[in-house]
Amino acid sequence: MSTGRVLVVGFGNPDRGDDGLGPLVARRLQMSAPSGTDVRIRSGDGLALIEDWRGYGAVVLIDAAQSLGSPGRVHRIDLRREALPAELTPTSTHGFGLAEAIRLAATLQRLPPILVLYAIEADDFTSGAPISPAVASAASEIVQAVLQEAESLQRQPIPA
Amino acid sequence: MTDKTIKVEVLARVEGEGALDLTIRNGKVETVQLRIFEPPRLFEGLLRGRDFSEAPDITARICGICPVAYQMSSVHAMEAALGVKIDGAVRLLRRLLYCGEWIESHGLHVVMLHAPDFLGYPDAIRMAEKHGAMVEAGLALKKAGNDLMRVLGGREIHPINVKVGGFYRAPSKAELRPIAEQLKKARDLAVSVLRWTAGFEIPDYERDYEFVSLRHPDEYPFNEGHIVSTRGIDVAAAEYESEFEERHVAHSTALHSVTKRHGTNYLVGPIARYNINFDRLPADVQGLAKEAGLQATCRNPFKSILIRGVEIVYACDESLRLIAEYQPPAAPAVKLEPRAGIGHAATEAPRGTIWHRYRLAADGAIQEARIVPPTSQNQGSIEEDLRAVATAAIDLPEDALRDRCEQAIRNYDPCISCSTHFVKLKVHRG
Repeated sequence: MSTGRVLVVGFGNPDRGDDGLGPLVARRLQMSAPSGTDVRIRSGDGLALIEDWRGYGAVVLIDAAQSLGSPGRVHRIDLRREALPAELTPTSTHGFGLAEAIRLAATLQRLPPILVLYAIEADDFTSGAPISPAVASAASEIVQAVLQEAESLQRQPIPA
Repeated sequence: MTDKTIKVEVLARVEGEGALDLTIRNGKVETVQLRIFEPPRLFEGLLRGRDFSEAPDITARICGICPVAYQMSSVHAMEAALGVKIDGAVRLLRRLLYCGEWIESHGLHVVMLHAPDFLGYPDAIRMAEKHGAMVEAGLALKKAGNDLMRVLGGREIHPINVKVGGFYRAPSKAELRPIAEQLKKARDLAVSVLRWTAGFEIPDYERDYEFVSLRHPDEYPFNEGHIVSTRGIDVAAAEYESEFEERHVAHSTALHSVTKRHGTNYLVGPIARYNINFDRLPADVQGLAKEAGLQATCRNPFKSILIRGVEIVYACDESLRLIAEYQPPAAPAVKLEPRAGIGHAATEAPRGTIWHRYRLAADGAIQEARIVPPTSQNQGSIEEDLRAVATAAIDLPEDALRDRCEQAIRNYDPCISCSTHFVKLKVHRG
């Protein structure tokens, strides 16, 4: 059963350099998200996402991705209309990352009615490294974009 | 004979990174080397100088799949060093927390990681096209285990509610009630998963292993019991080092464990636990095992998928029994005073026996830590299995041989990132 509630998930490992951007943005959103929007952090367990988004009408994911040459550049992808571009496939150190979870959910027909990914081109996934300056500087832009998206999604009718 | 090389750059569906080198010459398997190339984790070193109370939170970070195993071995070892035995509701909650980890870890491995091998799919995503209901069951089992861990442990990955002496906070009966409802459904799903796996074509392969697991006087083991083998070992955790030793091998950053008596490999994990403790399983769970084609003793490592299924059913039943029995403790933990001492503990991680030893200074600072995880204990047995499995499958086409080897490795649900202190596959034929 879908509701008008929105789920925002910051995905990534905060101890792996730029992979920490998703959790960083989610932490900021936890303080400013409108009522009707829930914010979660997931550190790498993609399978958990499929259970996390059960019952939500719209889901916004934030994750770092391999760079296409412009670290910090933000790509907004409507995953119910567009395929996840191979070159932006988010990284995963284990078997079930975000990309695998999306593919599995699609097979099981468990994708939420609306699913948007903010993929941020990353620079450095070194263990223990801080988020690189170019990527960190994109955080505020993503927070604002996701806030606007969440507010707009809450007003939107949920597709059947 | 034509020279052939098979390469699998990274073995998937295992935790961590490693490689397998298999050399076949003149139609015979010459060498088998499981190379583990995760960097050494150095956890034993970074525990030195830290307070005894920090061990459960630090060791939980060794693994995202089985943090409870590390927490439970560390708290029991610390309590042994401090001369304290924990009983009552806190003991019950520890057993319940461990049930959650078995359900989550086994559910993930049986359905999402191992089943595709038996059905000929490259991964669970492709398998879901035809076996969607079972994949959904696997996800639900994982979630039930994770939810139990979250309620008791504060969160599902790297729980934060465990402390030496007990818990920071004990749950109310009301908090456990919805989990019990979820576990009843999980139990039914676990039975359907077990029946589904019982229909798989399982390779006909047996070996005469020395099985090692904990054995408790009354219970199927989680946190307590003697370390017992099928070839006569029966020691308390404190005497582990008199019977087992770890050896360095050049091709791996993980140590290889052997028995001191025979200098041979041994096997820990679900099959060992089941063989040594079949009589400790409730009659209806024994009945389900037999219905799935298992006997009281199993020597076929490929049947580990069935035994994990049996253990999921057991862990659901045991959780429900524990929740029904639970009365919150007067205090969630006992207060502990530091003292100099040495403490040991062995508990049963989903992948097998995990042993810890700590030496404490009078102020409670950790002077020395030793951690022996299941996968390093199993590494020698995995190599021996691979030699035998590859020999039996030597005439198979390269892809099929490689797949069979990967399936044999996954019999152990190896947790490579924990064992380094894992897997690319290369087959060299000459």
